[in-house]
Amino acid sequence: MNESEKLRRSRLFFYEQDIGHIGEILEELLRLSKARCAMLVDLDGHMITKVGGTTTFDDQTVSALVAGSFEATREMAKLLGEEEFSVLFHQGKRDSIQLAIVGDRAILAITFDDQTTAGMVRLYAGEATAQLYDVLKEAMERKRAGQEDIPEHLGETARGRLDELFGGKSKSDDQAQDSPPADKA
Amino acid sequence: MVQINFARRELSCKIVYYGPGMSGKTSNLEKVHDTLPDDAKGRFTSIATDGDRTLFFDLLPLDVGKIGGLDVKLQLYTVPGQVYYNATRKLVLRGADGVVFVADSQPDKMDENLESLKNLEENLAEYGVELSDIPIVMQYNKRDLPGVAPVSEMESKLNKLKWHSTKASAVTGEGVLDTLKTCSQLVLQAVSVRAKTPAEAVTTTIHEQFEVLQPTAQGAQAKGPPPPRVPKPPAPKPAVAGQLEAAATRQRIELDSSSERSSPIIGLIIAAVLAVIAIAIVVVLLIKQG
Repeated sequence: MNESEKLRRSRLFFYEQDIGHIGEILEELLRLSKARCAMLVDLDGHMITKVGGTTTFDDQTVSALVAGSFEATREMAKLLGEEEFSVLFHQGKRDSIQLAIVGDRAILAITFDDQTTAGMVRLYAGEATAQLYDVLKEAMERKRAGQEDIPEHLGETARGRLDELFGGKSKSDDQAQDSPPADKA
Repeated sequence: MVQINFARRELSCKIVYYGPGMSGKTSNLEKVHDTLPDDAKGRFTSIATDGDRTLFFDLLPLDVGKIGGLDVKLQLYTVPGQVYYNATRKLVLRGADGVVFVADSQPDKMDENLESLKNLEENLAEYGVELSDIPIVMQYNKRDLPGVAPVSEMESKLNKLKWHSTKASAVTGEGVLDTLKTCSQLVLQAVSVRAKTPAEAVTTTIHEQFEVLQPTAQGAQAKGPPPPRVPKPPAPKPAVAGQLEAAATRQRIELDSSSERSSPIIGLIIAAVLAVIAIAIVVVLLIKQG
């Protein structure tokens, strides 16, 4: 199993040191490339972290759309005989975005405007991608500090909050049943 | 796949609403979006055709709030239900932590329900996941319509694996939040169960199996069962083996015999040569003395 395969298969946990390290890489990328904002998104559509730019968009939605569009293009690449398109570029009237795969486990999304060029962004993104890959690999290989990080019986603990949010008492143990005869056809 | 960010104390999960076309998947999300308060939901995004048929997915991010010290976020997706969108359906299913199967309760839709369920199984299998490996809630939707199939019939035909099931009407809102609540709880419980898996075994837990897929254009094989053992050639029957051995022994004996017969002859020849040499020497010495 090669490194990419291992990374793709592993559940990733991010601690403060990881996010800090990733943040430094993205800050440096923005400084050199003069891009506006850089996000690291996992392939399932969850945002890992974001640096730069103003929060004018919904991070969660953008993360999901980035991952979705990347996966869709990857399928298209396969149909065309390519393994994948490792870099995608979408040009807008004012802002543009470049997406680059990181170790087959995450996507680096960089938004930029006319203060820089696509070439500059691509140049520095290449270096950043390699550094980010090392961070992800380290996160994968590190044994977790301890299971106490995740509360035990999270489902049970969540019951109260879920009842509060979605209303009513949890009926997770009940199966749907027919109503009295009047409901039947 | 669940993402856990300890730096931000965040846990993100993905729930996918699956089912045949027009069964009410998008309506479910719309109802959830309409019902929940603003601080608990994000923007409802729908990538759909002009005719409002889901083309890629619908997305509704939810912020459940703090649970066990973690900010829990849910991403709710729907898939396009129409048969020919299977490729995109498969993409959306990637990394799902839980599934809500939205079944259409109308009697003439049962075949489509079954087809969609089979499709779910196949698409999960592409990621190395079986139906029994992932939290699933079965929702019998459109209960508000007249002449719908009895729940008992839906259960017997669709719910052989005895998942949690709910009755619902996405149009009126009945059962929609109940369904989501049940699925959310199952997903979160599964997260904490998997979290107890030792780090060394992480790659064998449920969601790692999502990552087992065929990534290359040349269609690298999905992880499957180990190759069958190549059977050893059958051992020769004892009688035949004995015959072979006997023949080998005979051959060995013959060789030994032949070597035994030839040894004396050579000895005689050597002796004769030495004798001739000796005789010659004696003759020479005698001549010299004469």
